[in-house]
Amino acid sequence: MLTLKTPPHAAVDASALLLQPWADLPASAISRLPLRVEGSGPAALGDLFTVTGERSARVRLIGDLSRFERVGAELADGEVIIEGDVGPGVATRMRGGRIAVTGNAGWGAGLEMAGGLVDIGGSAGPRAGGAALGAKRGMTGGELILRGSAGAEAGACMRRGLVVIGGSAGEGVGRASIAGTVVVFGTAGPNPGQWSKRGTIVALGSVTPPATYRYACTYRPEYLGLLLRHLGSRRLPVTREQLTGSYRRYSGDLAELGAGEILAWTTN
Amino acid sequence: MNIRGVLIEDTFAEAFTMRAARLVITGASPRWAMAAALKLTGFATSVIGCKCEAGIERELAADETPDGRPGVSVLFMTMSKDDLPKRLIERVGQTVLTCPTTACFDGLPNVPDRVGVGSALRFFGDGFQASKVIAGERYWRIPVMEGEFLVQEKFGMMKAVGGGNFLILARSAPAALAAAEAAVDAMAGLTGVFLPFPGGVVRSGSKVGSRRSKTMIASTNDAYCPTLRAVTKTDLAEGINSVLEIVINGLDAPAISQAMKVGIDAACRDDIVSISAGNYAGKLGPHHFHLRKIMSDGAAG
Repeated sequence: MLTLKTPPHAAVDASALLLQPWADLPASAISRLPLRVEGSGPAALGDLFTVTGERSARVRLIGDLSRFERVGAELADGEVIIEGDVGPGVATRMRGGRIAVTGNAGWGAGLEMAGGLVDIGGSAGPRAGGAALGAKRGMTGGELILRGSAGAEAGACMRRGLVVIGGSAGEGVGRASIAGTVVVFGTAGPNPGQWSKRGTIVALGSVTPPATYRYACTYRPEYLGLLLRHLGSRRLPVTREQLTGSYRRYSGDLAELGAGEILAWTTN
Repeated sequence: MNIRGVLIEDTFAEAFTMRAARLVITGASPRWAMAAALKLTGFATSVIGCKCEAGIERELAADETPDGRPGVSVLFMTMSKDDLPKRLIERVGQTVLTCPTTACFDGLPNVPDRVGVGSALRFFGDGFQASKVIAGERYWRIPVMEGEFLVQEKFGMMKAVGGGNFLILARSAPAALAAAEAAVDAMAGLTGVFLPFPGGVVRSGSKVGSRRSKTMIASTNDAYCPTLRAVTKTDLAEGINSVLEIVINGLDAPAISQAMKVGIDAACRDDIVSISAGNYAGKLGPHHFHLRKIMSDGAAG
């Protein structure tokens, strides 16, 4: 367990922190793990955190980590629990394991993640599950759950995987997605799925498909029964009406490949 | 050994190793799940003529299926592991894909050997199909006139046992039929087994080869045909005028043993002379189910 002593005054690069074999490390070695503080260079983990416990694949970080960047980057296995807010790029390029955040996350949560489960109790900034600016591919696998709202371009350029937004989604959710699925429980912001090739956006709240999407039909996609039951098992607020209801299917983006879709839950 | 006056013969059923899959077919209502399951398991009594053996394991409540709809569990077997995906693709493609409202899921998720089914059927979508990964499993959404057909990409394949059996030797045809019906009813819903023949009962037990043709791999079991008692080397005691067979396939030997125990016990009724079993003197199949051992302790053969 790592308890933050005092919140740092500058950004801290924590990208290498969880690449260590935590299950084998004694407390003394954990305290010596390096971090990089913007403007002042390397610092030992023990300088910033009070370390208790050792040799565990389950790591708890407690405190306001909103200045800590890329926590859990490239995590391959194990479990990380962050009790508080976390900064940009949490779970960047994560490949496996589980990261849970009780608070909010900065921009780029789950950026280009390839596997595992990220569960953020609060909201996340822009580009959650998306691609880094200028990069071609966002998420390629795994599940990213945001129980609050998402900033702009959640799931942008995603290739595979699942992004779930418990609240509302900002502008351009699923923008330029190659494939994969984004589920939005709240309101989807302007231009959802714009330039998507094969991506799926499941809109359980209000949504206005872009002009480059075309209505196809109203039906019940059987796979949604499977998907929503899975989300229910993740303690997301799936209702019986959503499980058994009908969905308006819009195909698009017709300015692109046109094999994507927006499935908008309808009570009619 | 006697059970309620019925002799349990000191013999054994001889069974073979097969490859099995379990399919979970769901539908908007039990009617449509069952409609697909019945078609899928139709003409699947024996690998001799049908290339596969299949049967309904049991009906499933909505809370037992992956998509929360009512369903049917089907067991499906072939002799070789190469045959299993071929037959599954043929049958799921012709009988489940075509059936309104149905979806098809793997019922052996923890089995390491996987065979592609949805991965082949997806081509019916002519490029409009889409795949989705949910909880680590890939599914194919194939557009059809009704809406979409959902099928899991891969199905588990495991070694299984085919050909567990027992014979009901009766004083009359009605008595044999009543005992067979009682046995089938008693075995209905047991997990891990199915009865591939019509109504679970076979009247045409076979022997290996033929007296007259070298190309026939099976012909009538004349030693158990009452009408041939006077003209062939019979295995029927005096007073036996009808014989019916129950064939049981299962995912493992203990499941078959349990089913045989339940079925034989139910078949021991009035006007049944004895219970026997079909075997080839132990030369053909590695699984031997000894009737008296099963009825005394239910252990696997």
